[in-house]
Amino acid sequence: MPETTFDNIRLCMLKEAVRERGTMKKNNRSLIVILLPFLFCFTWATPAYVAGKAPYKIGVNLEMTGPWGEVNKIVRNTLLMEVEKINGTGGIGGRPLQLLIEDNGFDLNRAAANMTKFSRDKEVIAVIGPFEDNFQATTRAIAEREKITNIIICPSNPKVRALKQKWSFNIAQNDIIVSEKLVDLCLARNYKKILVFPAQIPLAQSLADYFKQFGEAKGMKVIVSKETHLNTDIDMTPQLIKLKPILEQEKVDAFYACTGGPPGGVICKNIRSLGIKTPILGTHAFGFGFFISLGGEATEGVEFPAGKPVVNPEQLDEGDPVRPVITDLNNRLKARYGTGADQISGHAYDAIGLLHASLKRSGDKATRSQLRDSLENTKGFPGCMGIYNYSPTNHDGLTKKDLIFIRIEGQKFTRVKFPGFE
Amino acid sequence: MTSWAYIPQLLITGVTIGAIYALVAIGFVTIARASQIINFAQGEFVMLGGVITFVLLNKGFLPYPVAALLAVLIVILIGFSLHRLVIHPLRKASLLIILMATLGASFFMSSTSNLVFGSLPKSLPPFSGSEAFHVWGISILPQSLWVFLATSLLLILLYLLSHRTFIGKAMEASSTDPMGADLVGISRDLMLLMAFGVSAGVGAIAGILITPIFYTSYNSGTLLGLKGFVAAVLGGWGKPSGAILGGFVLGILESAGIAFIPSGYKDGVAFGILLLILYFRPKGILGSPFVDSRRW
Amino acid sequence: MGGGSITTVSKNEFRKRDLFYVVPMWLLSLVLPNPVPHRKREFQKRDLIYLAILVVLPLLWRDFHFHHLMVLAGMNAISALGLSLFLGYTGQISLGHAAFFGAGAYTTALLTTQQGFPSLLAFIISAAVSASFAYVIGKPILKLKGYFLALATLGFGEIFLVIVRETPGLTGGVVGISGIPWFTFAGIVFDTYLKQYYLIWGVLIGLLIFSKNIVRSRMGRAFLAVSASEDAASTVGIPVAQTKLKAFVMSAAFAGFGGSLFASVMATASPESFSLNLSILIVMMVILGGMGNLYGPIAGAIFLTWLTDVLAGFQEYSLPLYGMIFILLLIFFPEGIGTRLGFRIVYLISYWAKKRRREKGKIE
Repeated sequence: MPETTFDNIRLCMLKEAVRERGTMKKNNRSLIVILLPFLFCFTWATPAYVAGKAPYKIGVNLEMTGPWGEVNKIVRNTLLMEVEKINGTGGIGGRPLQLLIEDNGFDLNRAAANMTKFSRDKEVIAVIGPFEDNFQATTRAIAEREKITNIIICPSNPKVRALKQKWSFNIAQNDIIVSEKLVDLCLARNYKKILVFPAQIPLAQSLADYFKQFGEAKGMKVIVSKETHLNTDIDMTPQLIKLKPILEQEKVDAFYACTGGPPGGVICKNIRSLGIKTPILGTHAFGFGFFISLGGEATEGVEFPAGKPVVNPEQLDEGDPVRPVITDLNNRLKARYGTGADQISGHAYDAIGLLHASLKRSGDKATRSQLRDSLENTKGFPGCMGIYNYSPTNHDGLTKKDLIFIRIEGQKFTRVKFPGFE
Repeated sequence: MTSWAYIPQLLITGVTIGAIYALVAIGFVTIARASQIINFAQGEFVMLGGVITFVLLNKGFLPYPVAALLAVLIVILIGFSLHRLVIHPLRKASLLIILMATLGASFFMSSTSNLVFGSLPKSLPPFSGSEAFHVWGISILPQSLWVFLATSLLLILLYLLSHRTFIGKAMEASSTDPMGADLVGISRDLMLLMAFGVSAGVGAIAGILITPIFYTSYNSGTLLGLKGFVAAVLGGWGKPSGAILGGFVLGILESAGIAFIPSGYKDGVAFGILLLILYFRPKGILGSPFVDSRRW
Repeated sequence: MGGGSITTVSKNEFRKRDLFYVVPMWLLSLVLPNPVPHRKREFQKRDLIYLAILVVLPLLWRDFHFHHLMVLAGMNAISALGLSLFLGYTGQISLGHAAFFGAGAYTTALLTTQQGFPSLLAFIISAAVSASFAYVIGKPILKLKGYFLALATLGFGEIFLVIVRETPGLTGGVVGISGIPWFTFAGIVFDTYLKQYYLIWGVLIGLLIFSKNIVRSRMGRAFLAVSASEDAASTVGIPVAQTKLKAFVMSAAFAGFGGSLFASVMATASPESFSLNLSILIVMMVILGGMGNLYGPIAGAIFLTWLTDVLAGFQEYSLPLYGMIFILLLIFFPEGIGTRLGFRIVYLISYWAKKRRREKGKIE
């Protein structure tokens, strides 16, 4: 028995659901036109900034979930710490910096959507871009089209360099200088024959290609194995079993595990558990704490070229302009988060540092194109990874001299020096 | 060196990973027999077993056996909550919805594991030494022997559980003849809950066994779960003995196949075998009580 | 339920507080399509309103992030529309549609970058390629039922990915193919999000009209019959295997169209975009939209795309939240969100209101 208007309504709707509802009153339809857009409204509202001068907004498009989640958290924490420090000293010309952090979930569509979200907000002057190599191409294209500066944390590769895009800058050591440095390492250790085991990521493949090119120019024999591995693989034993005979037949002097991320440590462990004693060389991506914890004792004696923040700052040269920067970052990070500086926090520091320096140079209320021009004219900026020099033809910033040779001894990263190869 | 020469070494890897597939497949079959639900989150139990043990060992500073036991208990609790929170509300829903719900639960568990425990692969210390034995030119890790031993013990334990204890017999009854079990007073809901607990526990133990050899990270569960299901279908869907056989056969075929094809196709081998089995003999190797009967 | 001090309201008395509930529900009922498959007229006046909003909205609201999201939603909607023919109408589960989407994308990528085909031709060939994959795979697989079909399609999806990753010569391996040119047709280059929006939603409307015709035809009724009971359908004379195959091939062609547009819009095609997650997402769109419905999956596509965008703001919590919302949506809306939504809200509210009244009555 219907007690209230409600039950009445309920009954009516029941009846209607049973019979066909083809008729509608005409004048109610205009309500639909008004209603739908409001479904989307609240996601697009940007929070109003209260008090003081308008801040410089910097978009941050990172993979906070996915395989690099932990690593990107370090980036985010370092960025926040640096921005707080800059704002504490009054910002740039009285304007604070504000970070807008969005996760792209390791998905290409979302990385692109985040870029457009940042580009359409007129107050965002730059985007600190993806960490993952595969997203680079898309975000670069969007940055170029929407004319916003994109600072990319991963290294560039030949394909994107060939496009000569104006609005994107890489801050990581690129594949050319890493390969050159590794060739130097091989010359210093007198390795004549090297077997390369690349991962199936573009960075590893271009590293392998450049290494072969530079190595053979210096008279070494480089064998690039046909076996590859995915960078999400957690066991490389099958491929290594197939490579073992090649190692023994050709009597190679060194094994170059051309990969980044967790597979590096896994490869070391797998190799040693198969009883292979060949020295192992790595890429700069080996310079992370998790590499040692994954590989355990198998990583003893592994050598690779990497950025300077990997080792304790005391191991750097006295006169190195980068050393005080790293020491300072190391101390501040330890005080706040408990862990010291490493390559990742170094990248984050450099990104914000470069933006900071460029904004200071471009005067008050810098526009996007002013920022870009100023960033392109960066000369001699001392970041954690080295001295940055950008120019219209070079958007990578670092050179071979910004890398050092590192060897793992006693489960710690130790710097080694080879006279004549610094 | 001809391809055949790799086989002995690959067989060792194959049998080791096959034991793990067998355990995962048993987990699938346990739940499927109780309720005809396929729990795609099975692989996540394996992952969680390894990851939680790692965290308890390194951050909680518990001794290894205690950490392992505690991790298994925690994963069993997670299995119970999976049943209560996801499966039980959907008990009347269609097949598709339950399938999607378990997929969603699997996704939720792996991304939460990423959030809470981090995305880097985790390793556990091996039970005994880490130096491999070298027998006739092949290296055998002592952990592989442990895996085999533990798997056999666990399977014997499960057999005893289901055929000698009261709860086990009740579960068998509930799966063989649901209506009859209902009439006798066995609560199907409770049996399903137990089934989830058992398969979660088995999965967690598999995770702890396998992590010292192969790393566990937040996304290793998904693929492992799928391959475990393939193994269960391969051996004969719905039978525990089929699950065990299927697990070992799949492990061996997958590892031996690498000798002949480029190693990147490794995962494709499992799914290729699946398609072949489903096409030619959906009953599986040992035959299945479910396929071709009207229970599905 | 009478009793003492509970004030009974006579059934026609209108209370002001009911307005609070009635008005939004009623508005909702105007907007959401009624999921009854057969209508008296094929195109309702409601459809014209939808069309008008679709055409006019991006011009009124010139926010290119909104355009971008609608572009993404549109591509997913095309796949979801195709899958709704297979899943919603024929009732078969397919967890491998991302492979057909990817096949379409890679075909377009290869044809336009390496062979220099014009976009429209590549578009059509991509759909044909996806459809032929579906034909080849479908014949043996479709006799499986339920879970096994889902598993087989999942297996096919994974095999597709493995093959794509392992043939770098053809597909660029893990790196994928980049530098795909924009879609060009009759001299117009679809490079801005606004133009792409019209392209994609135009294609979608065309496919929607096609689907509506299919659904109202003999073939559509055959689909529904097969979904209801295969034995009964074959008794009546419907060739069950052929019908399922037709539905599968059609849905794959739709996914191929979607994939081709994806390649032309994103300018890159790489294997990570076509994983199991995408397949699950498309199935979810069909479920949320309601089975046996054509507009539903499209609305589901818009909703889920919007949802993932909103969740990006939660940084590292975005994926766990997504998983949780996924499960909750399945528990509370197994038949789609729009299905009797107003009715359900009324029921819930009236249940709650009655409970409160009961308690108040007991206390007084």
